Amino acid sequence: MNPGKLFKMPTAVNPSNFEEVMQQAIALELATIPTYLSTYYSINRAQNQDTLYSKLQQQLGAATGNAELDINSLAQELKVDILVYANKAAALIMSVAIEEMLHLALASNVKQAIVSPPDLLGISKSLVFPTQLDGHEPEFPINAAKLSLQQLSTFLQIESPDPFVDPADTPETDNSVEKYKTIGQLYNAIINCIQNNFPGPYAASPQLLPPQKSAPPRPYYSQNSINTVYYDRNHNPVFGSADDSGELIGVTDAATAVAAINEIQHQGEGNTSLDHDTLKFDANNMPIPLPVVNGEVQFKAGDYDDGSKKELSHFDKFLEMYSLGVYYQEKFAKINGLDDFFSYFVYTQESNPKQADYDQYGTQALSLCSQLGNAIFTYILLMIETCYYKDEATQFDVFMYGIHKSMIWLLSGVGNTINSYTYYKNFQAYTAALTFEYFPFENTPGKTPKQQILSLVDQLAAADPDNWSWLTDPKYAGYWPALPDVRLDHTVIPDMPVIPA
Amino acid sequence: MENIQITKELHVCMGLNTCKYQGYSGTNNCAGMGDCSTVNHPCHTLNECRGQGGCGLFGTTEEFCFPSQNNCRYQGSCGAPILNSRFIAQGPNKGLSVWQLARKRFEEKRSASNLPFGAPPAGPYGPSNEYINQLKNQPADTDNSSCGQSGSRSCSYIADPAERAKAAYARVLTMEEKSAAEMNETLKTCPPRVY
Repeated sequence: MNPGKLFKMPTAVNPSNFEEVMQQAIALELATIPTYLSTYYSINRAQNQDTLYSKLQQQLGAATGNAELDINSLAQELKVDILVYANKAAALIMSVAIEEMLHLALASNVKQAIVSPPDLLGISKSLVFPTQLDGHEPEFPINAAKLSLQQLSTFLQIESPDPFVDPADTPETDNSVEKYKTIGQLYNAIINCIQNNFPGPYAASPQLLPPQKSAPPRPYYSQNSINTVYYDRNHNPVFGSADDSGELIGVTDAATAVAAINEIQHQGEGNTSLDHDTLKFDANNMPIPLPVVNGEVQFKAGDYDDGSKKELSHFDKFLEMYSLGVYYQEKFAKINGLDDFFSYFVYTQESNPKQADYDQYGTQALSLCSQLGNAIFTYILLMIETCYYKDEATQFDVFMYGIHKSMIWLLSGVGNTINSYTYYKNFQAYTAALTFEYFPFENTPGKTPKQQILSLVDQLAAADPDNWSWLTDPKYAGYWPALPDVRLDHTVIPDMPVIPA
Repeated sequence: MENIQITKELHVCMGLNTCKYQGYSGTNNCAGMGDCSTVNHPCHTLNECRGQGGCGLFGTTEEFCFPSQNNCRYQGSCGAPILNSRFIAQGPNKGLSVWQLARKRFEEKRSASNLPFGAPPAGPYGPSNEYINQLKNQPADTDNSSCGQSGSRSCSYIADPAERAKAAYARVLTMEEKSAAEMNETLKTCPPRVY
């Protein structure tokens, strides 16, 4: 097994290794989240359109060979190409990332119901980019990287509904692992094991559950938010996810366990029983794009994951962005004076950035900002993990005041600001990005994870007051200080969060 | 938060106050006639009190169906004030006006208690960004929307800024009129509160 792989997989799924296999399935789902978020944060999805228009107008006007063109209308057309694609790519990637969080919870519910709670911090400790899907044939590197056709190719391989052959990939040579060619095949093996060995009913245990009448509030999952919305060329809103594409499922027996796993498969891969598009590579080892007709990519019935055929599967959302990306990159390359299409809206982010590089570069604020990003990402995993040990009232508090706030505001606040820092490595300038590394919270009395986070907040506000002084402004106490106090042993301090006076 | 006088009722927008003199300026003669929100917060989970979640941009279908009716601190589904251009981002009423639904819920509560309410001062579709800037004496380019990482609803991609603004105004008006026409359907498709 190559270094960087998440886990060592056994050769078959059976009752004796079921716990380990489910932990592996959870690891697969978890690993996709920082992978997709890294790419999401690399996109400038709402840049100033007038500045962009001026830049394009200037480039077109300065280039030779464009005398016959209507520069103004072409600059306008290209501006809209860039703005709509960038916003759409970001919205669709976010819609997939949100569903991956749902998959993480669904897989965790299955593991919790049948064997034991999920160990998310354990996975995070092992997750080092670039990583690989252990046992996947063919193997391919998974980078935390900026948006590009290469990165979308990786996304397509992760979510592929069918076995594929990429001449550039290395054949899996480790016979000690369960060989599978798609994630869906792994889940099929898990379903078989559940149906043959774990019929249920299972003993009640804490899970993340869907809303239900006469039950405590459970507002844990929502497909769409403003971050999954993009605007079409006429600036009408388009929603990244359909309402009927999935929800949390409480796992009580084999039928509900299989339903949970089927939902993961359908959202990721679509309806594979119907005619659907597949992943094929060209002579340059890049995926073959679908044709683009009048700016639209054409899909088949099996490419959708919902009954109303309003939402493409993860694979097909990425295939749409890949196909459009190829189309626009070729269009821009044919026009004199223009830069590469992606360079207009993608930050110059290094693949698989590391905290150590930031530390070595010597900008204290960047180093602290990255540490804070890693700390809140690790804390999110701790909070999710803790939900599998607690009653519903505590789950609600941790989820509402901790996980939602952290995903929407705290992690994204750091992710969207860290790119204001530049660092150099091997004489190359890069825009800084979240590294999604495990943050080793100290486990010592009087030094809780939350206190360690707030210490980083204080240090960052002092190191870079221009960007971060608001962190310690009492007016914004609803952000970082209002996090719930969750300990490494899954203890949740009652009546938290408390806002300082 | 800003502009809070602690003797004032805290509510999320124009036309959603329950008492006389409880609008932003404190000059309203009746419930439902306040000129603007008495709270400002940027988004989901950042509200200080019950009833301050503005709704529409981050949250669940159920939360979006009951804007400004959160039960507790930090349970608000989105920021305040609620501009006329804000649309619901999740559930069966995606793309329709948040403010109009908030106002409808407000009227339902008042009517259920046989309490009076007046007409909202900025009209039946909610406050525009320009209205709030004029009311608060803010620069004309102050953006009072919240939570938006996805571009502004009150925008368009037209090159000429004047034409761009006109197109945006027309698009928001279309959404407002559609939302008003479909309000009964909106209420029907909203799932009942389960808590």
